[in-house]
Amino acid sequence: MSMHDAKPCILVAVELQSGDLHPLALEALQAGSQVAQGINGRMSAAVMGNGTGMAVKRLQGFGLEHVYVVDDPLLDGYQSEHYSAALTAICQSAAPVYILMPNTLTGVDLAPRLAWELDAGLVTDCVAVQNAEDGPVFVKPVYSGNVMAVYRAATCPFLVTLRPRAFAPMQPQNAKTTTIVPVTCTFNPNPRVAQVQHLDAEVQGIRLETAERIVAGGRGMGGSEGFGQLRALADVLGAAIGASRPPCDLGWVAPTAQVGQTGEIVAPGLYIAVGISGSTQHLAGMSGAKTIVAINADPQASIFRVADYGVVGKYEEVIPTFTETLKDMLTEEA
Amino acid sequence: MRIVVCIKQVPDPEGPRDAYFINTANATVEPRGIPPVLSLFDENALEAALRIRDQIPQGSVSVLSIGKRIPNAVMLKALAAGADSLVKVEDESLDASGLDSYITAQVLAAALSKLGFDLIVVGRQAADWNDGQVGIGIARLLDLPSVTLVRSVHLSGHDMEIERVLPQGYEIVRTALPALIMVGGEAGELRYPSMIQRREAKNKPITTWNLIDIGLTTLPAKRVIRQRLFAPELKDRACRMVDGASLAEAGRNLAERLHSDRVV
Ligand SMILES: Cc1cc2nc3c(=O)[nH]c(=O)nc-3n(C[C@H](O)[C@H](O)[C@H](O)COP(=O)(O)OP(=O)(O)OC[C@H]3O[C@@H](n4cnc5c(N)ncnc54)[C@H](O)[C@@H]3O)c2cc1C
Ligand SMILES: Nc1ncnc2c1ncn2[C@@H]1O[C@H](COP(=O)(O)O)[C@@H](O)[C@H]1O
Repeated sequence: MSMHDAKPCILVAVELQSGDLHPLALEALQAGSQVAQGINGRMSAAVMGNGTGMAVKRLQGFGLEHVYVVDDPLLDGYQSEHYSAALTAICQSAAPVYILMPNTLTGVDLAPRLAWELDAGLVTDCVAVQNAEDGPVFVKPVYSGNVMAVYRAATCPFLVTLRPRAFAPMQPQNAKTTTIVPVTCTFNPNPRVAQVQHLDAEVQGIRLETAERIVAGGRGMGGSEGFGQLRALADVLGAAIGASRPPCDLGWVAPTAQVGQTGEIVAPGLYIAVGISGSTQHLAGMSGAKTIVAINADPQASIFRVADYGVVGKYEEVIPTFTETLKDMLTEEA
Repeated sequence: MRIVVCIKQVPDPEGPRDAYFINTANATVEPRGIPPVLSLFDENALEAALRIRDQIPQGSVSVLSIGKRIPNAVMLKALAAGADSLVKVEDESLDASGLDSYITAQVLAAALSKLGFDLIVVGRQAADWNDGQVGIGIARLLDLPSVTLVRSVHLSGHDMEIERVLPQGYEIVRTALPALIMVGGEAGELRYPSMIQRREAKNKPITTWNLIDIGLTTLPAKRVIRQRLFAPELKDRACRMVDGASLAEAGRNLAERLHSDRVV
C-alpha cells in the first residue's frame, strides 16, 4: 500500500467474456463493496486478458480506486500458470487485504493457486458477507447446503470466492473516475501444463447460463429417450435444456447441462423440473428461478416444496399433452 | 507407475436435512443416522486412476486417507473397485474442528512423500465442506504440475494428455509426470465390483500410520477460522398442485394454468 493511501484495498478479480466484462463480475463487485463498507476500505479491480480495453472502460463507472490491468497475448484464454502469475503481480502492486472473485470454473482453478502463492487463507463458494466488529465474515453452505458455516480470515491477504447469483449485480454509479494501473508481469515461457488443443462444446439449442426458460430432467427420465420429449417441450417454449447430476454422469445429456452446486447456477424466469427429486445440491443451482414447475411421480419429492406449480405423475403421461397444449396456445398467439 | 488417490470419508451427503446435527461448541457437524461414505468426487478420482492403470501393463493404485478414525469397512469399496492397497494416517488431531485445507494438504503431502508416487489423483472438492483447495495445495507443497477439472487422461510415455473442462467446452493439455490431477463427475462413475472382487478386497494390504510416522510433529496454524455454524432458513414456496381426470388432462390443465397466470 502506498504512503498516501491509508485505506485498506479490497481487490476484485474480474473475468472477461468475449472481450467484455463477465456478468458475474458485477456480483463480485457488489460483494466487494460490502466488504469495503465494513472495513472502511477502497475497492479496486484486477483485469487480466488479451485485449482488456472494453472491460476496463466498463469498470470506470463503479467508484473503484484503481483498475489493475495485465494485458498480454499469453492471457488469451484462461491458462492456470499465466493467470496466477498475472494476478500475483497485481497483488504485489495492490497489496490487498481481501481478494474476491466469482466461483466460476476459472475461479475454482485460480483462487486456490493464488491462495497458495500468497500464503493466504481461502473460503470458496460464499453466498453472503456480513460485517462484524472484528471484520467481515463470509457465509458458505456446507454439508450439501444443510448447514451454513461462517468463516473469518486468519491471514492477510485473505481470499473469497462467491457463488454465482448469490449477490445482486452492482449498479454503476456516477462516482469519480478510476485510475488505471497497468501492471507488468514476467511469464514462464514454458508453462508446465501446456495447451495442445481447444474444443468448443457442441451447444445444442439455447445456452443454459443466460436462458430465460429452462426445461430440466433428472434421473426419473430413465434415459436419453426421455430427454427427447423434453427437447420437444423446450423447442415449444424456446427454452434451454438442463439436468440434474445423474443424467450428466450417465451420458444421457452433455455434462454442460448440469444445474446445481457443482454445475451451472441459473436464475431463469421459468424452470420446469421433470423427474428431479430436489436434492439440496440441485436446488442450490435453480432456486433463484422466478417460477418453478415440478413434474414428479412421487408426491413427497422435495422439489414440490420449492415449486410454484406441481403435477404428481409419470412424466411420460403428462409431458405430451402439456407440450401439445402449450404449442397450440403459443402458435395461436404468434 | 505408482498412482495414489486421496479419498476422504464423509457422512452421506444425500441424507435428510436433520441428519446433520450442528455441534455449536466446536463448530462441527455430527451426522445422525447416516453412514459414512467415500466422498462423491473421490469415487470419480478413483475411477480416473483405474482407467489410467488400465492403459499400462504395470501400475499400482493406492488409496490414501487421513482422519481421526477411518473405518476400513467404508474404504473396502475402493479396494473392491480395484485399488491395490490402502494407507491411512490416523491421529486424534486430525479432527474436523482442528483442520482446514491448508493443514490437510500438509498432512497429505507428508504422507505422499513417504509413500512415493508418479501421479496423484484427488477429488474436485470434498462433499462435506466443499473447499476445493487441498489438491492444488498438495501440488504446491510437492512442487508438481497440477491440472483441475480433468475429464480423461491419456498416457504417452512419461507425458499425460489430459482433457479438461472449460466453461464453453474442453481443452487438451499436456504435462509430464510426476503430476497431480483433480477430478469431478465428468471423469465417470466408479466401476461396480464383482462378488469375487469384493471378497478379495478384504485381503488387500492396509497400512496405518500416525503423524510421527510421516515426520510431522506439529501441525501448522490454520489459515481460515470457522467461527460458527447455523441452520439455513427454509424458503418453501406455496406449490399449487394441478391435476385432472387423467395425467394427460393434468398436462393440459398445467399448460392452461401457466398460460392464464401469464407464466408463459
Ligand atoms: C458434493 C456434491 C455435489 C453435487 N452437485 C450436484 C449438482 O450440481 N447438481 C445436481 O443436480 N446434483 C448434484 N449432486 C447430486 C445430488 O445429491 C443428487 O444425487 C441429485 O441431484 C439427484 O438427481 P435426481 O433428482 O435427478 O435423481 P433422484 O434423486 O434419483 O430423483 C429422481 C426423481 O425422479 C422421479 N421419477 C422417477 N420416475 C419418474 C417418472 N416416470 N416420471 C416423473 N418422475 C419420476 C422420482 O420420484 C424422483 O423424485 C451433488 C452431490 C454432491 C455430494
Ligand atoms: N482427509 C482426507 N483424506 C484424504 N484425502 C482428502 C482428505 N481431505 C481432502 N482430501 C482430498 O482432497 C480433495 C479436495 O478436498 P477439499 O479441498 O477439502 O474440498 C478431496 O476430494 C480428496 O481427494
